[in-house]
Amino acid sequence: MAAKWIELVTGSLAEKKRYRQYKARIGQLPPSHRAAAEAVERYLMYAGGIVGGDDLVRMYGDLVELFEQAAAQGTGVRDIVGDDPVEFVETFVANYSEGSWISKERRRLTEAIARAEGSPQPTARPEAPEGTEPS
Amino acid sequence: MTEMLKGTLEGIVLALLAVAPAYGYEITARLREQGFSDIAEGTVYALLVRIEQRGLVDVERLPSQLGPPRKVYTLNERGRDYLEEFWRTWSFLTERLGQLHEGGR
Repeated sequence: MAAKWIELVTGSLAEKKRYRQYKARIGQLPPSHRAAAEAVERYLMYAGGIVGGDDLVRMYGDLVELFEQAAAQGTGVRDIVGDDPVEFVETFVANYSEGSWISKERRRLTEAIARAEGSPQPTARPEAPEGTEPS
Repeated sequence: MTEMLKGTLEGIVLALLAVAPAYGYEITARLREQGFSDIAEGTVYALLVRIEQRGLVDVERLPSQLGPPRKVYTLNERGRDYLEEFWRTWSFLTERLGQLHEGGR
């Protein structure tokens, strides 16, 4: 009962717990991978635009797994993120943007255009015959 | 990575998975063998997350001697349909672009 009430205020406790576990796993990575994962995480936090708690936790889970696998296989950080880390992160974050503000705005735009399409529209005007001035 | 390559990478990865199931690192390695040397492992990983979310592959976690369990991706029925659609689009594009290229000479 009390836990439910607290979750209303703070968000899901289970999500918070999983998030802390992911943070701990990032802390276990080799220094280079840890530094890179933390840099990506920082970027996601400020520029990711993800607002849904479950999306966020899922995203961190996938991020941790990527760096853990790469570290286990001996893949260097440059080979993980490529020549353009921003491009990589943007591709990565696109998978979790369902709950982001931009997705809501995209839906709103699509719906607004559909409504506008249903409103009375001007009919196409026939072209004026040659030599006459439009009145 | 050019935008053109980015747009086709999904089809390329599905085509690789149509040959045999694979885990992420294998897919990146195969892409590199075939000359796609600029592709970052993270980009391939992000793409695999996406095709998993869209239900184009079945995923199984297999234990690995190298650290954490690995996800093995297998193309499923839906993925096969999607890949066929990709090849149809590809044929259309190559045909039309070929004609434009010839016409421009």
